[in-house]
Parts: sequence; structure tokens; C-alpha cells
Amino acid sequence: MSAVRPPAAPAPDGGHILDLDDLGVVFTTETGTVRAVRGVSLHVAPGETLALVGESGSGKSTVALAAMGLLAGNARATGRAVVDGTDIVGADEEQLSGLRGKTVSMVFQEPATALDPLTRVGRQIAEVIRNHRRVSAADAAARAVELLRRVGIPEPEQRARAYPFQLSGGQRQRVVIAMAIANEPALLIADEPTTALDVTVQAEILDLLRRLAAETGTGVLLVTHNMGVVADFADRVAVMYQGAVVETGSVEDVLLRPSHDYTKRLLSAVPRLSVSEAAGGGDTAEPAGAGSVGAGSVGAGSAEEPAVELTDVSVVFGRGKQAVHALRGVSFAVRPGETLGLVGESGSGKSTASRVALGLVAPTAGSVTLFGADLARTRARARRALRAGVGVVLQDPVASLDPRMTVGECVAEPLRVHRRTLSGRERESLVGDVLDRVRLPREVARRAPRELSGGQRQRVSLARALVLGPRLLVADEPTSALDVSVQEAVLEVIGELQEELGFACLFVSHDLAVVQQFARRVVVMRAGRAEEQGLTSATLLHPETDYTRRLLAAVPVPDPIVQRGRRAERLATLAAGRTEEQG
Amino acid sequence: MSTYSFLIRRVLQALAVVLLVTVVVFCLLHALPGGPARGILGPQATASQITAFNHEQGLDRPLPVQYVYYLNQLVHGDFGMSYTLNEPVSQLITERLPKTLLLTVLSAVIGLLFAVPLGVWQAVRRNKPVDYVITTLSFIAYSTPVYFLGLILVLVFSQVLPWFPAQAPQGNSVGDILAQPQGLVLPVVAGAATMVAVFSRYMRSATLENLGEDYVRTARAGGTRPRAILTRHVFRNSLTPVVAMLGYYIPVLFGGALVVEQLFNYPGMGLLFWTAAQSSDYPVLLGCVLVISIATVTGSLLADVLQRVIDPRVKAGRS
Repeated sequence: MSAVRPPAAPAPDGGHILDLDDLGVVFTTETGTVRAVRGVSLHVAPGETLALVGESGSGKSTVALAAMGLLAGNARATGRAVVDGTDIVGADEEQLSGLRGKTVSMVFQEPATALDPLTRVGRQIAEVIRNHRRVSAADAAARAVELLRRVGIPEPEQRARAYPFQLSGGQRQRVVIAMAIANEPALLIADEPTTALDVTVQAEILDLLRRLAAETGTGVLLVTHNMGVVADFADRVAVMYQGAVVETGSVEDVLLRPSHDYTKRLLSAVPRLSVSEAAGGGDTAEPAGAGSVGAGSVGAGSAEEPAVELTDVSVVFGRGKQAVHALRGVSFAVRPGETLGLVGESGSGKSTASRVALGLVAPTAGSVTLFGADLARTRARARRALRAGVGVVLQDPVASLDPRMTVGECVAEPLRVHRRTLSGRERESLVGDVLDRVRLPREVARRAPRELSGGQRQRVSLARALVLGPRLLVADEPTSALDVSVQEAVLEVIGELQEELGFACLFVSHDLAVVQQFARRVVVMRAGRAEEQGLTSATLLHPETDYTRRLLAAVPVPDPIVQRGRRAERLATLAAGRTEEQG
Repeated sequence: MSTYSFLIRRVLQALAVVLLVTVVVFCLLHALPGGPARGILGPQATASQITAFNHEQGLDRPLPVQYVYYLNQLVHGDFGMSYTLNEPVSQLITERLPKTLLLTVLSAVIGLLFAVPLGVWQAVRRNKPVDYVITTLSFIAYSTPVYFLGLILVLVFSQVLPWFPAQAPQGNSVGDILAQPQGLVLPVVAGAATMVAVFSRYMRSATLENLGEDYVRTARAGGTRPRAILTRHVFRNSLTPVVAMLGYYIPVLFGGALVVEQLFNYPGMGLLFWTAAQSSDYPVLLGCVLVISIATVTGSLLADVLQRVIDPRVKAGRS
């Protein structure tokens, strides 16, 4: 669709719906002032999408909020941010209220918290309408239902009466989008609109935004860290680094022929999903790449005893009508030295499966064998000893470290639990060793977790997981909260240590590209079932099930030309499926 | 969970709690030294008189027997006879309870009417002079014992400025009390002061927390004006935790009534409880505690139901 868009060449001056001119933002904090944004000049023409990319802390979200006049109280903006002729910098709240939701509106990252939990969604949409138009409550409510229909919510009349918690994440994001387009704004600012969503939902939301923008000629400022989304959606790209724009250009130029060093580094760190040329088509003629990856050496049928094995495991939470079947007959094994990727959408049961493997959730049916011992038959003390052989890294680098402990204490904690006879000096030296291993300076042991960056903290978690010399590492989305460049470094460390120490790794992730790079075998989970499993090189290149194919097709790749083809193909498959259903 | 089964479960829970309270209080009271005979018959009573009294009242039987006997009476609406006032406890309570309810409900309602807007106002003007002044006053009100606060009120508004009477209205019915509203002012103010202090703090922090929520930013991004965001969205969301607190605050209110009634000689249950405690009048004490514990569990039950009404997520079992 973007191929038929007007060319990205700058429209004549004054034709821009958004004009940022030497925009700067300074935050006043307790420790001094922080210049979050410096000298940013950008524009968005009607009907075009400008993507603002960069890593966390680059200032991209701050630019978006400044353009809405929604900066936090301790922020001060300088320069100009002109939306449809009004300078947002220095405008008063009354002026801003008149613009917001009418001329410019915004879609936020976190659909879970973006809506008032106590107000029905229809009312929240109607409120935006009535903020700017003199219509009766009944008319606004009817229009809200119409908007819900337009953003693709089934049974909009009923859904309008739902509270946010009664909707799924994707539906909530559609409601937020419905609010944003309620008054057909000339400019839509989308701040990581799909980051919190599953890939298939992400694809639908991006389709929706693209369609709405095209229908109404709305200009879009898209803030994202996901280069795949950029390739899928944007006409032009601006790359931000440390508060300043370092490169601007057409999406093809920036993603395929980056000129600035930072852009090159950033793009090289992005994990790329390898796709077979006829991806999604179920092409079986192409020879499977499986054989070339050395699958023969440690094949799936290896005689070596698995570090952990789930056999026909089912997990049911709750009873009766409210019972949730989190897992239904799932079997897989992780062997020493290998990495098994567990992928699937949210709610597919991948985290539950990892918890079962850890012995934290007892299976309702089926058996779990950890290092050859059946967990159901081991006594509590023996089970504790078995657990000493398992290390865990979790998703959130902030929440998984106790803020009241020093880094050294965090890492030493497993030693205190499982190696009680160690002296303080011995513990210290072990902690030092393992910090070396994860490439952190030994001095960080004395510092507090909050003094470290996200990537460093995740390496502290890794050090804690490795300090007992585990035979199994369970990593549940270990890099999802990290920037791509940091993710690359953390994955590298895990990979190297695995080679050196030979532990088995159960790697849970929603990111197919990361799993493809990192895991040798993969299990695709769906609604509590293991939909498909096999060697990563085979399963993710030539999937056998429609579900895996759909999942793969929904992942946007950071190449605008390839992505355009993939999107057309995906939409064609969807349309074919729809006509089939109707026929 | 459906509202119906939720109610049944909660009511059963409440009954169990009330029963447990009667057991605990019964045992505690009987464990106290002295016993009622000494209190009633006076210091001159002989040992045989006391034994006779104890036998007559059934106080020499084993405690479990006494308790079962007491429960059986309760089921038949008989709370026993007061040792000192020579009246059935049930009659004493039916006479006094409405007056105490009048005092506590008035204090609570007036307290909330001030506390909620004050809390919101503070949140909106946080870290401004208004906020600091109200915060300081709250802490003073909160840390001043009700007894002391009552004395100051009497001193200032009854002695120095002869605006209100120092004694609460007397009378047997709520109507009698309401006939002299100026006499109610000081007791109600004394009862409401802590309420204002505590609940304005709750409201302030709940409102502040909600003002920082993402949905406020969404509403602003939709062009909703600050005042409307406050009244339509933030207010309701902030009220939920405050309503929950209110249920747990009921025993505190009754505790406050105990002091206030004693101080202003208000003829309610607090005063009844106070005098009964002085003379070890067990049946009255047990009756009062029972009524207060029923009021408390009813209060938290109401708070739970109210929360289900305000917040649809509670009903769905998530929050």
C-alpha cells in the first residue's frame, strides 16, 4: 500500500501537519538537569508516516510527548513544535485541550493501563467525541459503536458496554485507536503502539493503522524500537541517538543503506528472521536446511540423558467452570549442552511450561524428570538438591533483583542456600569468578542493582543463575526488556558460557528471530499445546502447521522491500482464508 | 462468582467471626480478677454472700457450660440482665444503640464530607502551601488523643466562647437528641476530627496515585479537560481503596464513640459500655461487644459489596 503513497519528498513548506524546529527538552531532576532532547528538527506531511527510531533513553518518546504537550511536570521544552499552525511549546492547557483528540491524537504503548478501568469503553470513546463536538450523549454513543466497528471489534454494540478488563490486549489497543481517530485527526502519534502485543496481533494493528491513515490522509509519527515495524509501516525514518537525530531519510535508504555509524550498529544488532524465499507458502519443494546445521551429531534421538524432560504434562489451574487448562499434554526434553526454544503467543503456556520444568508448578497429569529423577517421586530435600542444579533468568531486570541487596549479595544468595559450609571469603571469590564470566567488573559486587543499566542487571541475574554451576539454565524472556544492542551482548554471553560449561538451556521467548538465532531446537506452543517441534532450522524455515506459518508470516522483517512482499502475501492468504470461510 | 453466592459466603464468614468474638470476649472477661459479685455487692460483702450470688447467677458452673447457656439465651433474643442497672441488656442496647449510631454516622458522614474534597484538593495542589498546611493539620488532628481534643473543644467553644453547650443532649430517644442540635456539635466535631485527618490522607494518596496513571494521559490526549478528568475518572478510581478502608474503620469509630460519649456525657452505648466496664457488668459488656462486632462485620460486608458496585473488576475476581 505504501508503494502507492505520495512520494516521501518534503511537501512545500507550511503543508506539514507537524513541524519540529530545534526542539529541545530538559528534565529537572534531584541530581541536576538532563537534556533529553537536543535540537530536533523534523516534519510530517499529511498522509505520510515518519518513524522515529532509537534505543531506550534516546529521547524518541519525549519528542512524541512534546508534540502532544504531554510532557511531565519537571520537563521544559524549547524551540518550536508546530501542529497545524499552533506552536505546542508554550501553549496553555486550554489551547492544548482544544487540539488534543481533534487535530492531533495519540496511541500509547501499554493497552493494559491506557484506559480508565472503571469506565465502559464506549463511554471513553464518546467522551473524546464530545470533547470537541456538540453532539448529544446518545449520538456520541452511537458514533462510538461505529468507531469500534471500524477498528475491527466484533459485536461492537455489546463491546461498547464492556469494561477494559473484559477485553484482550489487542482489543484494548483497538479501543485506544478508536479514541485516537474519533475526530479524524490530521496527525496521529503512535508511541510503540504494538510493543506490548503478540506478533499476530501486532500485524493486525499495523494493518489497521495503515488503513485508517490512508483512508483519512492522516499523517503519522510512529515511535518504535522495532525495525521490522518500521520497514512495514514507515515512509521515512529519523534515527535518534542520545537526544539528537543522527540520520533522516526514506525507509529504504535508512534501513538498507544507512549512512551514520550508529544506524549501522543498531541495524546490525537487530536479530533477523531468516525466511525461505517462498515463506508462508508451505513450499515443500525446497530442500530443508536441517541437515546442514550438524543435526546428526547430537540428534533429537540422542542417548544422552535429558537435563529436564516433560512427558505428557497437563496443568489445570482452578476447578469447575473456571478451570484454566494452561498445558494440555505437553512433552519435550532439553539435553545437556543444547538450547531448546519455547515460543508462542501470550497465554500459550510457554511460561507455565518453564515453571513446570523448574518444579515450581506441579503438573496435574504427566511427569517431569529433572536430571533423571522423577520430581513427583522425590522428597522435599532431594528436590532441593536437584534445584541447585537449575539456574533461572527472568524477564524483568529491575524486578528480579532485590533492591535492598548489593549485587554481590544477590549473586551470593544461591550459595547461602545450597552451599552453607562456605566461608565468607570463599563465597566472595566464587562471586568474583562468576562476575568475570558474565563480563562484569568485580567492583559491581559492592554496588546496588539500581546503579546498573538494564543489560548489566540482566547479566547480574545471569551470574546469580550460574554461580552454582547449573546443569540447566531456564531463561524466561531474558532479553525482552532490553535494547537490541544490549540483547545481542547478553545472548552472546549466554551462548559462550553454554559452550564452556555445557549446561542445557530452556529459552522461553516470543521473539522468533531471537529463537531462530539462539536455539537449536524449538517448541511452538499454542493454547497449552505443543503445536509443533523440531530443529529450529527446519521448523522455523519450513513449518508444518498453519499456525507456525501464520506466526512467522506476522513477524515484520527489517527490510522494507522484503517486508512489503511478505505483507502482501500475508494479506492475500488472509483474504483467501476469508473467502474460503464464506464459501 | 455470582453476587448471590458471594453474599452467602460472606454472610457465613461474618457469622463465624461474630461467634468467635463472643467466645474470645467471654473467656477474657471471666479471666479478669475481681468478678462481678464484688462489684455489685460492694466491698462489705462477705464470702458467703459472694458464693450465694455466684451460685444464683450460675457463675460457679464450668465456663463452657456458662457460655453455652449464654448462647442459648442469645438465640432467643435474651442478652441477660444487667447486674447493676437491673434491666434486660437487650432493652439497654435497643435504647442506646440508635443514639450511638446517630453520633457515629453523623461523625463519619461529616468527616468524609470534609476529608474527601480536602484529600483531592491536596493531591491537585501537591507540594504547594495548601497541601503543606492541611498535611500539618492532619497530623496534629491524627496524633491528638480524642479525649484531649474534646477537652480543648469544650474549653474554647464552651468556656471561652460560649457558643455550644459542654454537655451532650440528654434523652431517651433519637428524637430527644435531635431536638437539641447545638449540643451535638462538639461531640460530632470531636468524633469527626480523626476521621478527616485519616481519610484526607487516604484520599490524597489515592488521588495522587491515580493522577499518575496512564489512563489520565490517555484522557488528556483525547482533549478531556483537567477538571473533567478529575471528576469523571480520577475521583471514582481513587474512591475504591477509600471505601475498602471505611469498612475496617468502623471499630475505630465505635472506639472513638466510647471516649466521646464519656467525655460529653452522651447517653449512648459507649457510655453504657464504660460504666459496665467499671462495675464488671458482664452481660452488658458482652452484649455491647457483640453488637459492635456485628456492626464491624456488617460494615466490612457493606464495604465489600460497595466495592463490587464501584469496581466491576472485583466482581469478576480480578483487580
